[in-house]
Amino acid sequence: MDCAPDRGASLAWAGSAVSEVRAEDRDWAIALLVEAGSVLASSRDLTTTLDGVAGLTIPLLADLCVIDLRDESGSISELAVAAAEPGVASALEDLRRRFPLDADGEHPVARVIRTGRPELLADMGTDELDAFSQAPPHMEFMLGTGYRSVIIAPLVAAGHTLGALSTVRLAGGESYDEGDLVLVCELARRAALAIENAQLYTEAQTVEQRLEAVLRNLAEAITVVDEQGRTVFANQAALDLLKLDSPEQLTSAEPGATMSRFLVLDESGRELKLEEMPARRLFRGEPAEPLLVRNIVRATGEERWVIVRASPILDPDMGRMRYVANVFENVTPVKRAQLAEAFMAQASRVLASSMDYADTFRRIARLAAGELADWCAVDVLGENGALERVAVHHDDPSMLALAEELDRRYRPTLDEHTGVPEVIRTGEARIFNDITAEALATYARDEEHLRLLREMGARDVIIVPLAAPARTLGAITLVSSRTGRKLIDADLDVAVRLGRRAGTAVESARLYTERSRIARVLQRALLPDSLPEIPGLEIAASYRPVGELNEVGGDFYDVFECGDGGWMLVIGDVCGKGPEAASVTALARHTLRAVAMLEERPARMLELLHRTLRQQDPNGQMCTVCLVLVRALGGRAELTIALAGHPRPLLVGPDECARPVGDAGTVLGIVDPVTISEVREDLQGRQTLLLFTDGVPEAARARPELPLELDRLSARARELPLAGMLARIEQAAVASADGHPQDDIALLGLRIDGRARGLESSGR
Amino acid sequence: MSAEEQLRIATRQGPDRLIFELVGELDMASAASLRDAVGDARGVDVGVVVLDLRGLSFLDSTGLKAIFAARSVVIERSQRFAVTPGSAAVQRLLSLTRLDEHLETIETPDAVLA
Repeated sequence: MDCAPDRGASLAWAGSAVSEVRAEDRDWAIALLVEAGSVLASSRDLTTTLDGVAGLTIPLLADLCVIDLRDESGSISELAVAAAEPGVASALEDLRRRFPLDADGEHPVARVIRTGRPELLADMGTDELDAFSQAPPHMEFMLGTGYRSVIIAPLVAAGHTLGALSTVRLAGGESYDEGDLVLVCELARRAALAIENAQLYTEAQTVEQRLEAVLRNLAEAITVVDEQGRTVFANQAALDLLKLDSPEQLTSAEPGATMSRFLVLDESGRELKLEEMPARRLFRGEPAEPLLVRNIVRATGEERWVIVRASPILDPDMGRMRYVANVFENVTPVKRAQLAEAFMAQASRVLASSMDYADTFRRIARLAAGELADWCAVDVLGENGALERVAVHHDDPSMLALAEELDRRYRPTLDEHTGVPEVIRTGEARIFNDITAEALATYARDEEHLRLLREMGARDVIIVPLAAPARTLGAITLVSSRTGRKLIDADLDVAVRLGRRAGTAVESARLYTERSRIARVLQRALLPDSLPEIPGLEIAASYRPVGELNEVGGDFYDVFECGDGGWMLVIGDVCGKGPEAASVTALARHTLRAVAMLEERPARMLELLHRTLRQQDPNGQMCTVCLVLVRALGGRAELTIALAGHPRPLLVGPDECARPVGDAGTVLGIVDPVTISEVREDLQGRQTLLLFTDGVPEAARARPELPLELDRLSARARELPLAGMLARIEQAAVASADGHPQDDIALLGLRIDGRARGLESSGR
Repeated sequence: MSAEEQLRIATRQGPDRLIFELVGELDMASAASLRDAVGDARGVDVGVVVLDLRGLSFLDSTGLKAIFAARSVVIERSQRFAVTPGSAAVQRLLSLTRLDEHLETIETPDAVLA
């Protein structure tokens, strides 16, 4: 819709409007439109602009000019009034306020706004004025001021009628003609554009303000940077994250200056350059994946884990990338928890990997120095009550040497009131942040000490107890230097956990070693220190306990003299492992030695042992025993064999056969009565009597397809020296169990002494 | 290998008896399962408890002890205790220790006791 009068001239531009104006008026008409142009362009404030436009019409084009606007609700209100006489303008404003125009009424302004078509009321009489009148005071006003001629032009922009611009000539002035109408319409068209621009601008400004408010208050940190790397916007969260007080600190900084305040590392600890940041990549036209970075504020050592995401902001006109928005997501708490867990898992692996505690501490120190701080030292309380540095680590060898020198020359004593001694005494972890020169000076013992401490350059120190369940074994010290990151309470928590876990692990290792020592002592009590020398007989034993150091075995053997010239060979196996089995083993061994003083017959001795075991525990400590009473008879020996649930011994050689000897007897300690018989055999020269425990045949259980054929094995080994023969059999048994026998393996061998054989043969 | 995999114990009740069918290996690692199984059957009112050893592939001294511990519990409850013969290796151990002389042996778990 255009705002042309009836004859339909197109008035799209000022020139054509001006051409319709009377020649003598053209100059001022052009001047008016030019001036209107500059007024409309001068300001973005709508009221000021329209007041200006209305004012331009006075006095040449109008005695009174009103601009009315229709608002969103559809009602009409006056926005600007200008009049030649000041009283008239204010009187009209007053009337509009008191008697607002009825948007649906017959007032020509309402009509023009509804229709979008201009109206020219060249000469108005009382009747026409009546149509204008909203109320009697309004009529009085119009009559009083002498309304004569009126033009009302719609304010049309983008097809919408925004309002109307009215010009009025009062009594004494000329009536309006078509030329005036064209001019007013053109003025109205321009005013309409200005109004729309102003409204759009206001709207845009509101949107922008809203957007900015949203950005500012977002929890996520956002910055906008231009191609030169200058920051043009930063919200509050960004300032907090970057540790800045005001946006100006950022926006006025040189490109890259902000980044230089931080040590920016990737996840693996490599320092990142500005060019590697996602925003720079985008400007270079490269894809920019979100980047996880570790920021350390150089000045304070504070650490942040941040995910940086960059998105381009395109210029709407040119489609070119003018800015990049960076969104920084602070993932520090999550990342730290994750790292702490990973660290503890690694520490647990280290602690579980070795029972050698000095080695364990060295590895823990290396791990902690790498992950938590720059230095890590471990001090333990020695048996003499003095502190002992068991591990220290720093990646830089010269700094390591410094730490070692410091410890060598100024090792703290336990009575000192602060530092490691205090933590060990109290069992309470400590953190010292931002250690000052004064604090160092107070702590130092002398000038040299102070010099070394200064050279270490410690900023933060954490000391945690090496806490075993019942006591503090020592302390772990973590130190961050001035160049490293700050140690915070979260690190203290991790360190405390490390101290607790390491303390527990070391205490277990110590107890394990202790238990192994006890086990070895106990084991010696169960077995003879050495075998006796028996005239005319050769005797050997081998014993291989299952497990490592700490399990006391259930197998036992013994050799002792009994009665007149007789020797008792004992081999046995107590069911089970550990201290209970060991106590039964000891009981069996010593009972047999004791009863041997009263009773010479092996079967009788076993019955007595059975009775003792049953008395001790009716529900049974089960024990198998083989007793062989040996009497050397010069070149041969008489054997009396009694078995109680025990595998029969083998009589090996001199030919290629091995023969089990003895009769099966009831195992001891389980059930009454026991039936035990004695069998007599002769041991000849070049024969071997082989006693063994069930660990020997049982070893083959791991590989049932390869049964240990003990009889053939011993027959094949019969020509070896006795100790070598036993070693060969043990070896084969271990091998048949794939190297990991499940039971103790004990062997006892008896031969006629070769010299005795020799004597005999020479005597023949 | 867990004790469960190593030794499976199926409990079955006959007219006059409770039968524990042992399949697998009875040794230090699995002896506790037998003790528990027999202990759990405390309240079952039967005259005879049978350990069916036919499925037993291995028995060691600890397993042997467990069988006799079960026997003591059963006899204390005034029940009769019987076993079926195990594998050759099992029987060898029973005869080596002469404990077979202290066990009432029946050919099958449901066989009539002498």
